[in-house]
Amino acid sequence: MTKNCEKFLGELSDYVDGEIDPELCAEIEEHLCECENCRIMVDTLKKTVKLCCGEKCEELPKKLDKKLNNMLREKWEKKFSDRS
Amino acid sequence: MDEKRLVKKAQSGDFDAFGQLIEKHKAKIYGLALKMTGNDQDAEDIVSDTLMKAIDNIDQFRGDAAFGSWLYSIALNEARKHLGHEKRKDLKPIEEYLPNKGGDHNHDTADLFDWKDPHELLEQEELRGIIDEAIAELPIIYREAFLLRYFEEMSVKEVAEVLNESEAATKSRILRARVALRDKLSKVFEEQYDKKLREISG
Repeated sequence: MTKNCEKFLGELSDYVDGEIDPELCAEIEEHLCECENCRIMVDTLKKTVKLCCGEKCEELPKKLDKKLNNMLREKWEKKFSDRS
Repeated sequence: MDEKRLVKKAQSGDFDAFGQLIEKHKAKIYGLALKMTGNDQDAEDIVSDTLMKAIDNIDQFRGDAAFGSWLYSIALNEARKHLGHEKRKDLKPIEEYLPNKGGDHNHDTADLFDWKDPHELLEQEELRGIIDEAIAELPIIYREAFLLRYFEEMSVKEVAEVLNESEAATKSRILRARVALRDKLSKVFEEQYDKKLREISG
């Protein structure tokens, strides 16, 4: 690892996410062409997010959803009936 | 109907409006809570406590932030309560995750372990366990920033709004969490890879 790797490490995550200004992006890409470590760093930073956050929760378990709806409605009715 | 109108209707007692406001967030909050705590029951408690609190406090929501950000702030407070007080620990500065820090090194030789495809190394369940453990090892402030950014797919600005932190501080937390997670996973995968090699060579 060199001073350049240290300099770029703070930027590699933004680079992976495509959130970096074009000038810095070009500098990083030039560095990546000659640095195997940083190429691995970029690849594994990308895989880290994919592995840790790839499986999304699209919906609540049905039983929980039903239970929640009942609880929330009951609480709602109590709150607003206390007001009137 | 836009969010502001839904909020007004909910604040005047319309349960259906409240239902519409929470609809697109409740599964995501459950998913976040599951990732934060690694426990189904805790995740259930967090999502229900969050939505109950939202009902209690709906009148105080002034619309300065998006409704979703407000809901996530409540959810994170609930998650922190479930996770309890952790011993104050911090992550290393990111430079310390680099091998041979600052040394003159031949660029062409890699010091870092190249993961290839972790799915070829480990069974799905085992891999999931390793990932969950690595996430659980992150100090809470890093865990929540990382998960909001990449699991909930929020922008840095949105994460900062939920955490009530500056964008710079939020960005730094997300980066440090990502680098620390990468490092942890890398160590485990390298161990597994060496183990496989030993098995093959008999």
